[in-house]
Formats: sequence, C-alpha cells, structure tokens
Amino acid sequence: MGGRKLQIALYWGAGCGGCDVAVLDTNEFILDVAALADIRLWPIAVDGKYRDVEEMADGELDLTLFNGAVRNSENEHIARLLRRKSRLLVAFGSCAHMGGIPGLANLATKEEIYDRAYLHNPSIEPGNTTVPLAQTSVNGYSLELPRFYQRVFKLDDVVDVDYYLPGCPPAADQVRAVLEVIVSGVLPPKGSVVGAGDRGLCDECTRTKAEKKIKEFRRPWQIMADPEACLLEQGILCAGPATRSGCGARCPTSSIPCRGCYGPMPGVVDQGAKLLSAVTSVIDSKDPDEIDAILAGLPDFTGYAYRFSLPASLLQRSVRS
Amino acid sequence: MDQPRIGVYVCACGTNIAKVVDCDAVVRAAEGLPGVAVATTYKYMCSTPGQEMIVADIEEKKLDRVVVASCSPRMHELTFRKAVKKASMNQYYLQMANIREHCSWVHGDGVEATQKAIGLVRAAVKRVAFHEPLESRMVAMCPNTLVLGGGIAGLTAALELADAGYQVYLVEKADHLGGNLARVDLTAPHLDSARDLLRERIHRVMGHPHVEPFLGAEVQSLEGYVGNFTATVAVPGGNGAGPAAAEGDDGPTDGGGATRSPRTLEVGSVIVATGYREFDASRITHFGYGKLPNVITSFEFERMVREGRIETVEGRQPQYVAILHCVGSRSQEFHAYCSRVCCMTALKYAHELKSAVPGCYVSDVYIDMHAFGKGCEDFYRRSSEVKTLFLMYGKNDYPVIRKAEPGDDCGMLIEVSEQLSGELIEIPADLVILMVGMEAREDSAEVARLVGISQDKDGWFIESHPKLDPVATTTEGVFIAGTCAAPKDIPDSVAQARAAAARILGKIARGSIEVDAVFAEIDEEACSGCRICNELCPYSAIEYKADEKRSRVISALCKACGACVAACPSGAIRARHFTDEQIFAEIVGVLA
Ligand SMILES: Cc1cc2nc3c(=O)[nH]c(=O)nc-3n(C[C@H](O)[C@H](O)[C@H](O)COP(=O)(O)OP(=O)(O)OC[C@H]3O[C@@H](n4cnc5c(N)ncnc54)[C@H](O)[C@@H]3O)c2cc1C
Ligand code: SF4
Ligand code: SF4
Ligand code: SF4
Ligand code: SF4
Repeated sequence: MGGRKLQIALYWGAGCGGCDVAVLDTNEFILDVAALADIRLWPIAVDGKYRDVEEMADGELDLTLFNGAVRNSENEHIARLLRRKSRLLVAFGSCAHMGGIPGLANLATKEEIYDRAYLHNPSIEPGNTTVPLAQTSVNGYSLELPRFYQRVFKLDDVVDVDYYLPGCPPAADQVRAVLEVIVSGVLPPKGSVVGAGDRGLCDECTRTKAEKKIKEFRRPWQIMADPEACLLEQGILCAGPATRSGCGARCPTSSIPCRGCYGPMPGVVDQGAKLLSAVTSVIDSKDPDEIDAILAGLPDFTGYAYRFSLPASLLQRSVRS
Repeated sequence: MDQPRIGVYVCACGTNIAKVVDCDAVVRAAEGLPGVAVATTYKYMCSTPGQEMIVADIEEKKLDRVVVASCSPRMHELTFRKAVKKASMNQYYLQMANIREHCSWVHGDGVEATQKAIGLVRAAVKRVAFHEPLESRMVAMCPNTLVLGGGIAGLTAALELADAGYQVYLVEKADHLGGNLARVDLTAPHLDSARDLLRERIHRVMGHPHVEPFLGAEVQSLEGYVGNFTATVAVPGGNGAGPAAAEGDDGPTDGGGATRSPRTLEVGSVIVATGYREFDASRITHFGYGKLPNVITSFEFERMVREGRIETVEGRQPQYVAILHCVGSRSQEFHAYCSRVCCMTALKYAHELKSAVPGCYVSDVYIDMHAFGKGCEDFYRRSSEVKTLFLMYGKNDYPVIRKAEPGDDCGMLIEVSEQLSGELIEIPADLVILMVGMEAREDSAEVARLVGISQDKDGWFIESHPKLDPVATTTEGVFIAGTCAAPKDIPDSVAQARAAAARILGKIARGSIEVDAVFAEIDEEACSGCRICNELCPYSAIEYKADEKRSRVISALCKACGACVAACPSGAIRARHFTDEQIFAEIVGVLA
C-alpha cells in the first residue's frame, strides 16, 4: 500500500467492547500498527467525532474494522458512512459477522424487549412508563435518540462487506495475522472469512474422539469432565463439530465446551441447524420417550445452537403477532 | 450451465394414469417449461416402442436430458436408464416423476391429480438440469460363499454351489448339521423319512472338497460389501471338521465351551439360512403344557415316533389322542401368521398313530385346515378316511385341557367350543399333541445386525421384494433362504436355497459386479474428523481413518440413504445424484 501511512478506522456497533479489547490484546503489535497507520476513528481509544469522518473524501480510509451488530439507526448510519469512506470494510468479530450475542434478541420483539428492560423488571421503579423514544421534546427543545429496530442485523445485511473476521472476540494472533496480510497488500478474494480455519473445530481440538453416542446431556458443572476425551461424548453440549476452527480450540482445551463463536464451516448456511442435526443424530436411543428425556437435558437449545448466529440463520428472528 | 435440451415423456400406463390424470394437459404444461425441447404422451412408455421413442428423440432432436413421468422409479428407473444409455446418453441424465403411485392411484379428483402431476413434472424438469454424468464401477467378485445355518436350506445351498465348483464355508451354530428337520421322523405329505433326506446331504457336505463346515461355530463379524466380504468365525478349538457330525436327536444345541479361535474368511456372497425355533407352548396356560405331563409338543411326539414308543409318561399306550392345531400361530395374542406346516404334520401324526397304535381314537382340533401345497389336499382327503374326529375351534377361543376325574377312562378332558355344531364339546385324551408354530429365533436380531438385513414385525428377515425378489435382501450380496424368512415347508425351503445359490452363481459367472454410481462422498478437505457420522450409517459404510483423523465412505457399501449427509455438521458429505442443488431445484419446481 505504497509509502503513505495506512488510514484506518475501528468502530463498534451493537457489541460489548470485547472486540476492541481484542485489538488491544495484540499488545506491542498495536504499536507497530500505530507506526504504520493513522488511526482516524476509534471511539474506545482515540478522540474523534463523526463529523471528522463525514468530512473525509469517499475511499479516503484504507480499512475499517467494524465490530458489533446493527441494532439501531445509529449503527446503520455509521456503517453506511464508513463503508463509503473506506476501501476495505472488515466485519470484525461474531456480532458484525453473524449478529452475535446481541442477535439473540431476535428471539423477542422490540416491544417485549422494552417491556422487560424498562417497564416490568425488578430493578425498575414500579409504575415506570418511560421508554426510549426516537423523538422527545423537552422544554421546547426537540431531542433525538437513535431508533431501536425491530430486530438485530448482521453488518452485511446493511452494507457490502469485504472480509469477515470471526470470533467472540477474534483470537489476538489471528487479528495480528489478518492485519499483517492487509498491510502486505496481497489480499484474499473478496467475501472471504479470514483469520479462521476451513475445517471444523474438532480438527483443531486435541481431545480424543471416539464413536459418538449420547445417553445423557450434562451441564459442564455437573461432572468432572475427563481431561482427554471429547466433551460431547461425555454429554457436554459442544458446538465444536458445527464451528469453524481457527481459535486454537481454547475453550475445549480448558474443559469449556465450544460455544460456536467462529461460525459455520464454509458452505454451511445455518450453523444452529447443523449442530441440531449432528447432535440429535448421535443420541443413543430409539425409544421416543427416552429420546424426549435425553433432549430435556438441553434447556434452551435454540439459545445455545444459535448463540452467535441467529440473525445469520435461516430463521433470523421470531415473529409474534 | 447452458440450458439443456430436455425431453418429457408422460405415460398413460394403459388407463392406470390416464383415467385420473389428464396426460395431454401435463404435456402442454411441460411444453411451456424452460429447456423442454420435446413433450409427448404415450400409452406405455416402458414398452419397446415407448423406449424406442426416447432413444430416437435423443438422437434426432439432440436431447441431453430426459424426464419420464410414469410409475415409481422403483418399478422402471432401470428400464429407462437402459433406454437412455442405448442412445449413448449418460444414464443418470434421467429423472422420473411418479404420477401413478403418487397421483392417479391415490387421488380421485382428476383436476387436482393433474395439477399435482404437473407440479411433479416441473420439479423433475428443474432437477434434471442439475444432474451430473456418473459412471458406475466394476468390482471383482470373490467366488466363495458363506452359508449361515446347516439345516435343510443351508445344506442344499452349500451343495448347489460346491457342486458347481465353488468354495463354501458352512457355519452351523449347533454341534451337528440338519437343523430342525433332524428332529422330525417322517415328512408330510409323502411320508419320506427326514433322516434319509438329510443323511445323504450331510454326508456329502462333510466330505465335499469345496465345502468347509464349521460346527459349533458362530460368525462374529461381517465386513465389506458384495463380492468382497470378510467374515470372522469363532470356531471351537479352531478345528472346523468337528466330531462325527451325524444329525442329532435333541435338536439344535449350542456348541460346547471349548476355546474358540477366530478364522477369517474372504467371501463374495452370504446366504443366511438360520431357520426358526418352535413356539414355547407353556406360554398358553389353557393347555397346561409343562403342568400336565401327557401334554406334549409336536417335536416331542416326533421323538416318540423315532424311538418307536408312543406312550404316556405312565408307560401306557394311549387310547385317546388329541392333536391341537395352531399353537402360538394365528392368534392375536401370540403370532398372527400361519406356520404353514403344522396342519399337514398333524395329519401325518394321525396316520402314524393309526398304524402304530391300532384302535386308538384320534381327534384333530383345528381352526381351519390349511392344506395348500402339492399333494396336500389329497393327503387331507386320505387322512379324513382314517377315522379321525375333526373338531373346529374358533380363533382366540382356546380349548381348555384339564385332568380327568378318577372314574373316567381317560387321563384328560378337553373342552372345545365346536364351531360347526355350535356346541360345547368335551373330548377324552390320554395324550395331547400341541402343534407348536414356528417363530423367529431368539438371536435373529443379532444375525440381522451382523449381516446388515432387516426384520419384519415378527422377526423374520425381509426379502428385497416379496414376490419378484424373494431370496435377495436390501443388502447386496446377502441372501436369505428357508424358514429364517418366514415359516415354510421343506420343498419351499429347498427351492429358496437353490434359488439363492443360482443368484450367486450368476454373479460369479459375470466375474465382476457393477456398483451403482450413486453414493455419498466425504470431502477430505472439509472433514474435521468429528466422528458424528461414524455410527449413523445403517450399512456400516463409513470408516474412520485414525491416522488421518478423517472419515471416509466405502462407496460400494453406501446405499445413498443420506443419513450422514444430513448429519455432517461440516457439510463435508455429498450424496451423488442427491446434491443440495438438485434437491433445492426439485423443491423450487414443486412450489413454483
Ligand atoms: C413339528 C414339525 C414337523 C415338520 N414336519 C414337516 C414335514 O413333514 N414336511 C415338511 O415339508 N416340513 C416339515 N416341517 C418344517 C421343516 O422343519 C422346515 O421346513 C425345515 O426344517 C426348514 O429348514 P431350514 O433350513 O430353513 O431351518 P432349520 O431346520 O431351523 O435350520 C436352521 C439351522 O441353522 C442353524 N443356525 C441358526 N442360527 C444360526 C447362526 N446364527 N449361525 C449358524 N447357524 C445357525 C440352526 O442351528 C439350524 O441347524 C416341520 C416342522 C415342524 C415344527
Ligand atoms: S470437545 Fe468439542 S471441539 Fe473437541 S472434539 Fe469434542 S466436540 Fe469437537
Ligand atoms: S398350518 Fe395349520 S396348524 Fe399350522 S398355523 Fe397354519 S392353520 Fe394353524
Ligand atoms: S460428520 Fe462430517 S466432519 Fe464429522 S467426521 Fe463425518 S464427514 Fe467428517
Ligand atoms: S448416505 Fe447413508 S448409506 Fe451412504 S454412507 Fe451415508 S449413512 Fe451410509
């Protein structure tokens, strides 16, 4: 990318901030980035105003790392703005990639969320009737808040995305590797998932795999898991079989089942459905009642299987009339 | 992909389809679909002129895909594949739409059935565009055969193959050959000696250069696929020839406890001829079997006849003998089916009793007299002449047997609600013979799993087609013969054994076998080695390569059922001829 310094922006949409911390987690490498690049926008670390971005020429930025999903009109506005100003836009982390944890809100409607968050909740003053409104007038002044959408979108639902860097958050070494590739200028094909493997996590996980047969599901705290054997075979719901590798299998290595943050394998449309068909295929029973009893050991399977990918799934959201 | 040129052929199936589905309307609808170059209807597409029409169109009209809308592909897919192949088109460029079984045979409303037929044709047209040319493969055929079971069926099959010059491994679980027939004396309806029928066969099997018998042996595993199976057989003491292998008197007994060292056998085909077991008469409490000592089973009576002593436990010649039919058969509570041989066997007993115990009274208590089979009706007529009292009882209205009072001149009394007279009749008996039915062996499920075949609700092994393919199974290379498939008599068991042998000889003669090109494949680049798929395959077609940490489909074993395809969370498994693209195209077509 020539002799001039890279012009980059980092932004957070509907997310938890963990992705920004992941960038900081690259430690001293971030200083190398700072030496190579001008960071033009990074709300968590650098002072900057939206107006500064608006004033940039289209395509003035070389790269934007956008983390977080699109939950409200502000998220969408900035996504569109940065898309215009930036030659490369990377969906950074699970939320931008697939909707992420905020995407689970798609299991409820906006009204249900408002009701729970502002109206009927033990930590709310009883009788409260105030909910956020896009437009309010106070003392004759009109105030505006971003509009809260009916559902959560992933980044590429609202703008064109060049690359996807999965993870909740992405592993620091992968962030670093991707940044190095971008700096080198030798780019992968547009639309690629970068900073991740092409196979399932089980490939990367060093636990020993036997033929899978599940008679009972257990929560991780219910047993002392065998340190060597595959967690799923021990009845602990591990999303590893339906999840891309690339994270270094950090969760299963520390006896925590994979939760699926790296998303589905290439070519797979619906990660949760794949996990569902895989796990139910290895339930070791032919008796309907027993199968029901075994499945009862999986409370909130939807929440588990689609923990990071509900807005990217075939279902996308629940609709209530 | 270039838009292919598709020919659509709508079959009237005589009137089978045309009487409900408006075939011309289907043709008109097909003509309007993208890619359809020809659409036409004909009375019988499967007939020679029908097939020739397809061949001519492919050549003259330069078609590159064919859709036949007719019966189920189970019926004629192979027929039309052959036709297409004749015109030098890849045989997998064919798709069938089932407008008979799925339309005309199941719907009364012609308008709606026609709509549905059009939908199915649209789906087939959409799908066929995505078909890929596939080549079936030839694999070598190992000429050796494994026969399971040394009853009359297994013996017959083994000799048939061995006489043709091919190696047979005959594995018999018991320590002697002959099976259940070794427990029978004379056979109905011709009254030949069972011993004679068996002796010659057992003798020849034991000395045959091409038969290696294993007695007291069991098959532990069967792996591989048609033409290329590997079987492991546990043999007592590792010695196949065993002790003097005459037919036993006490029926099948499991091989002794000698140490077993497994043998590995390479075979191309397997014949399962594991036979049946008799119904346990003590399960019907009304008959007092096991409590009343002179109530015996047919097999126990056979033994008396063979020993030449027909007498009660007290050592007296019976004056009154009652023969009770359908014990365990033809009842809602036990087995709904008829065991087929017991009626004639009962008549045989009447003969044997009349000649062995002159002056004894025989009553024959039956539900219906099943005398089908060559010579059987005649045998029934002759038996009626030997002064047997026939009494008819109702299904599920069991006669009740009880001990007689001290003053009676008989040991037991049987209360029968007689159907023909409509009266409650009591008959005397010193000896009661229960005609126990046949049932699937206790280990049949294990055998089915071992060789990869299925069982029906009663436990009998299922044939590939009950009428047209009675000795083949859904697992290619595995055949069934004799009573393991359903109750039958000796002639039928023998016929099946020879039929199975003939099927195998045909395959051996061809030297190699064609393996269908439709199977699942695992993309090694995409497989994570998660092992989700490993245990799923009903045909054990998936193996896990521990060194490479990848799973693999043994294509010759795969039946393309799709179970693993759906389960693989990596999307690494693809079923040829059933790809996502093809299935989605079909769905789009139906819903359009
Ligand atoms: C009382 C009675 C009288 C009969 N009389 C007549 C008659 O008069 N005329 C007539 O036509 N029919 C008669 N039948 C029917 C006749 O018995 C059968 O038709 C015939 O025996 C069927 O032979 P088969 O080889 O199929 O089975 P079987 O005789 O049952 O032989 C099966 C063999 O397989 C062996 N085996 C089982 N499992 C395994 C295993 N897993 N591995 C290895 N070996 C195994 C068994 O030990 C046995 O030796 C009679 C039946 C009964 C019950
Ligand atoms: S623990 Fe999870 S990631 Fe590891 S092998 Fe088992 S299922 Fe796969
Ligand atoms: S053959 Fe006769 S006795 Fe045997 S089950 Fe059938 S009807 Fe009953
Ligand atoms: S289920 Fe798929 S990824 Fe897992 S072992 Fe089988 S082929 Fe490989
Ligand atoms: S498609 Fe069916 S038969 Fe073939 S390997 Fe998969 S599970 Fe087995």
